[in-house]
Amino acid sequence: MNTQETLLWINEQFANTNELTQKTLEYESKNISYMYIKSLIDKELLQKILLKPFFEMSNMDQYKLYVQALPQYQEISSKEQALLEIMNGNILLEIDNELLLIELKLSKNDAVSSASVEMTIHGSQLALSDNLMTNINLIRSYYRQPTLNIEYMSYGEVNQQKVALVYDSEKVNEQALKLIREKIQRVDKQLISAANQFNNYLNDKRFSLFPQMVMTERPDRVIYNIGGGKIIILEDGSSQSLAAPVVFFDFMITMEDDYHTIVISTFLRMLRYLGFFISLLLPSIYVGVTSFAPEVFRTELALTVAGSRMGVPFSSFVEVLFMLFFMELLLEASIRLPKAVSATATTVGGLILGTAVTEASLASNIMVIIVSAVAISTFVIPVNEMAFAIRIVRFLLILITTIFGLAGLTLGFLVFIMYLVSLDSFGEPYLRVYNYRKSKKRSEGQA
Amino acid sequence: MSRYFYYIILINMVANIIASVPYILLHFYNDGSISAMIIATITGTIIITVYAKFFIQFPGQTLPDLLKQTTAKWFYAPLIFIMAVVWFFAGMITLITFTFLLIRYLTPEMPIVLISLSIILSVILGCFIKTDRVLYTIEIVLLLTLPLIIYIFLKAYTDPNINWDFVKEAALYINQMPNFESFTASFYLFLGVANLFIFNRFFTIKQKFGWKQIITIFLITVSTLFTTYFVPIGFHGTENIDHLIYPWIQTSDSLRMKYSLIERVLFVFLLFYLCIAFLSMLIHWHVSVEYLKYLFTFEKIKYRGFNLGIFIPPTLFTLISTYFVQVINEYHLFRLSSFLNITLSVFFPFMIIVFFYIKRRMKYAKNTK
Amino acid sequence: MQKIQSKLLIIFSILFFLSGCEEFKDIDKDVFVSMIGIDHSDDNEKPFKVTLKLFVPTSSFRQKPEANYTYLVETAETISEAIRILETHIDKELDFGHLKLIVLGEELVKENKNKEVLDFLLRRPDIQLISWVTVGRPNAEEIVTMVPKGETAAYPSLYNYFDGNGTESPYIVTMFLFDYRRRMMENGLDPIIPIVEISENESTFTVNKSIVLKNRKTPYELDPLNTFIFNSLSMNVKIADIEVKQGNEHFVAKIDTIKAKNKVKKQGNNKFSLDVNVELIGYIVESQNALNSRDLPKYSKLLEKEAKENLESFFHELQSEGLDPIGFGLKYKAQTFHHKRMSIEEWNETYKNAEVNIKVTASLKSTGSIQ
Repeated sequence: MNTQETLLWINEQFANTNELTQKTLEYESKNISYMYIKSLIDKELLQKILLKPFFEMSNMDQYKLYVQALPQYQEISSKEQALLEIMNGNILLEIDNELLLIELKLSKNDAVSSASVEMTIHGSQLALSDNLMTNINLIRSYYRQPTLNIEYMSYGEVNQQKVALVYDSEKVNEQALKLIREKIQRVDKQLISAANQFNNYLNDKRFSLFPQMVMTERPDRVIYNIGGGKIIILEDGSSQSLAAPVVFFDFMITMEDDYHTIVISTFLRMLRYLGFFISLLLPSIYVGVTSFAPEVFRTELALTVAGSRMGVPFSSFVEVLFMLFFMELLLEASIRLPKAVSATATTVGGLILGTAVTEASLASNIMVIIVSAVAISTFVIPVNEMAFAIRIVRFLLILITTIFGLAGLTLGFLVFIMYLVSLDSFGEPYLRVYNYRKSKKRSEGQA
Repeated sequence: MSRYFYYIILINMVANIIASVPYILLHFYNDGSISAMIIATITGTIIITVYAKFFIQFPGQTLPDLLKQTTAKWFYAPLIFIMAVVWFFAGMITLITFTFLLIRYLTPEMPIVLISLSIILSVILGCFIKTDRVLYTIEIVLLLTLPLIIYIFLKAYTDPNINWDFVKEAALYINQMPNFESFTASFYLFLGVANLFIFNRFFTIKQKFGWKQIITIFLITVSTLFTTYFVPIGFHGTENIDHLIYPWIQTSDSLRMKYSLIERVLFVFLLFYLCIAFLSMLIHWHVSVEYLKYLFTFEKIKYRGFNLGIFIPPTLFTLISTYFVQVINEYHLFRLSSFLNITLSVFFPFMIIVFFYIKRRMKYAKNTK
Repeated sequence: MQKIQSKLLIIFSILFFLSGCEEFKDIDKDVFVSMIGIDHSDDNEKPFKVTLKLFVPTSSFRQKPEANYTYLVETAETISEAIRILETHIDKELDFGHLKLIVLGEELVKENKNKEVLDFLLRRPDIQLISWVTVGRPNAEEIVTMVPKGETAAYPSLYNYFDGNGTESPYIVTMFLFDYRRRMMENGLDPIIPIVEISENESTFTVNKSIVLKNRKTPYELDPLNTFIFNSLSMNVKIADIEVKQGNEHFVAKIDTIKAKNKVKKQGNNKFSLDVNVELIGYIVESQNALNSRDLPKYSKLLEKEAKENLESFFHELQSEGLDPIGFGLKYKAQTFHHKRMSIEEWNETYKNAEVNIKVTASLKSTGSIQ
């Protein structure tokens, strides 16, 4: 490949911008020329490792050897690669009619941030950063196994984002890995900005309610998942990672479960499942009991419910939907608003939903209790995406209960379980009871 | 044996508590029910053993697979069709029984068609999922419901109002000739193993079936039959017990949870048993649909590229069962289930002959190879 | 596959949404029946007089804690007809699902209408089998319509007599509907129902007597003492006060453990004896004389003697009347093969003539806090 031609070609590509900086240095008998994009380069580093030695070294051969010994040095295979690397923050160096690539990328986003989505009290407070290499650095330094395998690829026709698949080649679920590779090849998008998008891109179904991958920002969770044979998808510029394949129970664990004693973590886990069932079923039970089978609850309770519903102008299911709707609005509003305003939103919402609604007898007291119980127990579900799915299923169950009553609720719940069981996450059944002790040797096959 | 094997047997046993089995048994309490139950336990354990032993020789193969390999079409096609119908009816009887229960006790104002449709629809969705997923569903639902159902049984046993003198009085009818109808009713409890005809597909790895498994199953069945028969007697006496149409529902209504949110056990029992009934129907109809798939290739029937064929069996099931739900009354239902019990307890021992034939042919096929 | 499923689901749910919604009825459109009283009326055409006590829901129990009820009374040829008429008297749907107490008028019990009443109560699926059956004196209507002072809303005080949460007096027989049913059906176990009366000052109820239905028809009243003995022998009552008046000693023993065992023993050909073993453990709570802890065995003996005398008179009364609420007939059946059992009449004769062996073991552990 002709060096001059390559340089000319690259120059042409950047013809319309003034971003590309090109310089030639001549000093004594030495001369080099280099080009780079100004905004991507760490200028101090450039000065320290390339320019200073150039003026200090005695001859060109020594300088060339020095450059090639640098850890940032990279060989060039094609002019396209050279172009891409320049855009990645490399500097293209010409010495003796030979082209060399030195990575001098300036990363403003490689600081490891602290966890903001998945908070724990006892666990590590670190979260992944926006920088892919920092993340891989984190993972590698926490997971010390030679079998840790990382596959790089870049996606997005326009922005050519770097994506990495991370897995332990010994423990990994081979079938799932094959499926992910296959599906990831088929991804054909113009712009990919965050790893989370793969959750949809790798999913063949158009409407799917439950997340097929678990999203996490915690390095410890990433390690935990790699150790469990899962495949992690990381993307440059995204502080969230995705793990696949997942099962339903993955969404119900927090990293803290392992940091507590067994009794405590069992208690917490039970609490979480209880919260899960409450947030899923409580509003529907209210509709079913008040409207279809008032004799189910014990007398005192039935009378309390009947009494508190006095004067409420709506049917029970309208009442439930009305209150839940406002709760959802409140939730959504408090996420989007800036911190300073969101406090006001919750106060106003709490006042309206809590007191004023019952005062105006638009909803019964018990309904307010139910809605708040549901809201609280929804927050207990540790992974946000699951909580979102549950919120939708909850509305479906209310609908079914409104039509078919309590028996309909039971059946609807069974269908919900059946749906979860029939789901697949990259070849793994989404919901089934695993026997972890015997997970290696299965006593039966798969039909 | 894999735990899934026990599930398919267990469901059939537990589900029958709300169906006609206790009614039939209690109806003949002074006419040979007890000896019939004893004989049924023995023959039932034998038939489970024979069936299980037969199917573990052909891991991963269903009965229709085996029949296709060894017998002629004129033989297996009608046989499989008959089995499909039988399984469909078994599921439908559970459906009708539960529809009646719901309309009687939970939502008397709802139209019967709506109740039955709510059950049918949810079960029908299960006909589309794969066999292994059916088993996973069963496991999870059992895990959620069985603890509470066992708690209700224990509560019934420890209730101060259960009068053991009634139980003893009834037990002393032991020295009678067994009653055939009681025998068939209690024998029906053991026929869950017949679902292996299709579910054997799931057990692709060779299983063990020895004395340990036989004894476990024997113990489970004895305790189930004992509970089914004697607990209602302990609560309601023997005299005129046949006047109670749903002995177990009335027994659960005689229990009281003094401090619980729901004071009447009846409703808890009813809703949790709905899950068990759902599983029972799911198994039966899943097996039935699978049989039909062996006979007809539904995928071929298409309308403008839209696959209509796979909707045919569910639609048929829905239409037939909604029809029956409307025309049948309680008396018919008991006659029908009685009739089904009798047919099955003749039919399934007969299947053992077919098994022997298949086994010989398979051996022969292997040798010639 | 998944796609088809969801489409199927959507189509069907739309279909049912269109057809299904009219079954919807809110809880505040129901009115709960808390008690039913069934009386015998003098009108020959319309023998049943039904009284219903309905809960009136209040929006806040805290602001309005006193009880509030509506009553409906109607006479008709059958109970169902009466209820059908009553349904037209109120704007809401009558819900029997919370009916917990059934009061039968004394006249009605005497008139031998029990079979019809029982049939009605059992045939309705919404009436709980764990509701309590009682006899109202002088009639059911008065008992049902009476609201004692201090009754709180949502829980009628009459419930407290029977539910085992409130008073646990040994004089109250708790008879669940299913128990009543099996006793009405079975030959060897006679039905027994508590009598509810209005106390003299007309502000509370008194429940300390009971009625045994002889041959499941003729009522026979047990006085409080006999009711108490019946309860402790067969109803799992554990706590009781027994007054002992023997010779010079006059004290009251508080019994905290009663263990009773009843047996039927075969004594030769067609001769049976009824064995009753009672074990009493307790302490002395009241005495006329000063007591001495050293004499506790003596006091126990006195208690045994007292208890035995009471039991003997109780059994004498039962046998001479041919009443069997404890179920010795059933116990006989429970130990005899069905083809060897004697006929009902034979057994009734045998029962009347059976020898009664009563053995009481009492042990008083303390004389209370003082000697």
